Amino acid sequence: MISVADLLTDKQLPGNYFAAETYVRGDLEMGLIENRQGDRLIALPETLIQAIYSGLEKETGQASRLVLFNCGRWWGKNFYARFCEQLTDYYHLSPADMAMVEFLQALQQCWITHGWGKIDLEQTHQQRGFLVIKVWNSAFARLASQNKQLSCHLEAGILSAFFSQLTGRELHCIQTSCESMGADCNRFVLGLPKRLEAVETLVGVSDHDSIMQQLCQ
Amino acid sequence: MHPQIEELFDDADSRHLKIEELRLVAHYVSSIPERLATYRSLRDCELEVMQWVANQLQAELPQEPEAILERCITNALLMLRHCGMAMLVNQESIVKERFLNWVQPTVEVYNTRAIDARLYQLLNQRLNQTLGKRMELLNPTLLMAQKALVPEKVESVNGVAIGW
Repeated sequence: MISVADLLTDKQLPGNYFAAETYVRGDLEMGLIENRQGDRLIALPETLIQAIYSGLEKETGQASRLVLFNCGRWWGKNFYARFCEQLTDYYHLSPADMAMVEFLQALQQCWITHGWGKIDLEQTHQQRGFLVIKVWNSAFARLASQNKQLSCHLEAGILSAFFSQLTGRELHCIQTSCESMGADCNRFVLGLPKRLEAVETLVGVSDHDSIMQQLCQ
Repeated sequence: MHPQIEELFDDADSRHLKIEELRLVAHYVSSIPERLATYRSLRDCELEVMQWVANQLQAELPQEPEAILERCITNALLMLRHCGMAMLVNQESIVKERFLNWVQPTVEVYNTRAIDARLYQLLNQRLNQTLGKRMELLNPTLLMAQKALVPEKVESVNGVAIGW
């Protein structure tokens, strides 16, 4: 026998925790924005993102990609910890115990609400050990130099750290298409570092489908 | 607050409100007592209505696992609360952004549309019996949410009458 009173014992019904309207709060007088848990959020102005790109390019040249990737890794590690903490607090379930569909939805909504665009997972190559992630409307791609090179190194780092923590295995992430080069979305491939090594030289030269073909041979 | 009304208040420094705009505000303001009363009734009858729906549903669908039925009922409770809030402040986007965005993909994955269709029929029936005329304000939002989750094509495939 289902008891509705039992379903209502928690102080809230599990809804859309990351809905933008309720998740982001601001105090204009203090000049602060924070999330619904009261943790501070930081707003990145376009000028700052552009300045990071040009400053790094000037200071470190080719190495700027690696710097951004490693910054992303650091960011992703903390992001994963905070994301899991918020999920556990709100849904009373650890991410490991959550259904995949709900975990993914929470991640997608969280990504949108943080202003990082729309994220989706493509599981076609999962059997082969690769996960393809697609991101649309990335500010990191929009504000990079256009038509030059793949530019979402920061996001690649975030995704690599996030999914490494989630799966408990060290995963690398390479970008295979970029909005800054006219692609419909930014595509990232996650997999074991050793297996992705084989296509490192194709990155930025071949398109996404060719790289996947090469990987799955 | 309804975005159309919210926008009106942004222009205080440049102009007075036009007659039709004032009429819009007056219409909303005059509906507030009724909205509050409906919200209170909904809040007070939530448990009784949902327990009745749960009992009926379980009796009609004994083959369905309890966990699945509980999921559908929890989603319906969430829907009712968001629709109640949207009705109170006259803002449908609350239902879309905070409820439908979240629940719609899970309904597809768990394939609970047939159960949901029957659940909504029972829910609407019980709400109408309990709230009577007070349902007028709640109905448009509630039906919008239900239609989004159980499109009519499912109605014909499963032969389920949804009751709108």
